[in-house]
Amino acid sequence: MHSKELGTIQRELLIEAAPEVVFDVVSKPEHLKEWWPDDARYEPTPGSAGEIIFINPEGEGDSASFTVVEAIPPRVFSFRWTHPAGETAAEGNSLLVTFELMPREGGTSLRMTETGFREMGWEAAVLEEQYREHMKGWDYFLPRLAPYIATLEKRL
Amino acid sequence: MSSQGRGPSTQIDDALWSAIGDPTRRRLLDLLLVEGGGTATSLGEQLPVTRQAVAKHLGVLDHVGLVSSVTSGREKRYHVDEAQLAHAVSQLASVGSTWNARLQRIKRIAETIQHTRQEQPRQEEQHD
Repeated sequence: MHSKELGTIQRELLIEAAPEVVFDVVSKPEHLKEWWPDDARYEPTPGSAGEIIFINPEGEGDSASFTVVEAIPPRVFSFRWTHPAGETAAEGNSLLVTFELMPREGGTSLRMTETGFREMGWEAAVLEEQYREHMKGWDYFLPRLAPYIATLEKRL
Repeated sequence: MSSQGRGPSTQIDDALWSAIGDPTRRRLLDLLLVEGGGTATSLGEQLPVTRQAVAKHLGVLDHVGLVSSVTSGREKRYHVDEAQLAHAVSQLASVGSTWNARLQRIKRIAETIQHTRQEQPRQEEQHD
């Protein structure tokens, strides 16, 4: 992966459901809009270009580009988003989100990795902050700032 | 009720995020914290950018209050403003839950589907 890229965030959690179920939830547009945007329009197949829609406080929809990169059920689903409308999604103009699923006793281990913040973190943060007051932004540089927090806490 | 739905501090906070969103400026903050301060010259010696570029970045950080300076000889000596840095850190800390919240929703949806399927095994078997 892009381990050298600044601003990679990664999360892992255990879900008590079969990998096939988890794969559907992270990849299908009808499920995606239950856990993230207000609407999602794309085909969950590699190369499919679409959009995800966020409803702003004025009730208008604003769309972000969304392109499926990999879809290997029930193991990997990845996509790029936030690339400028009309541009092909690629490294440097978009954020890459990868879901990796691993079967575990009693369920599935789900690992989420998001990279590309060096270029896109600020734009993404603005988008999120504008349309989701309760989910404002990303923790791009949080890992880098952790030592600062420790420094400050010592002095407070 | 504000028709904009955003607070008066938004402009300042936008600038703060933008200032800290640049990797060179974050490295400058790192160096200033580690060394307790520095000038454009001393910082430039430790980074693969020109002294002029460093001075420009310091200007951006100064503008949003992340660093402040005192004149020392021919140069300005900069140090990190800890109150403003704490403000930035608290903003960043508050957004750390974004993916956590999404993933918790993914977990809840998947587990609900799984439970629903387990409660209706006969329906699935009838597909044969």
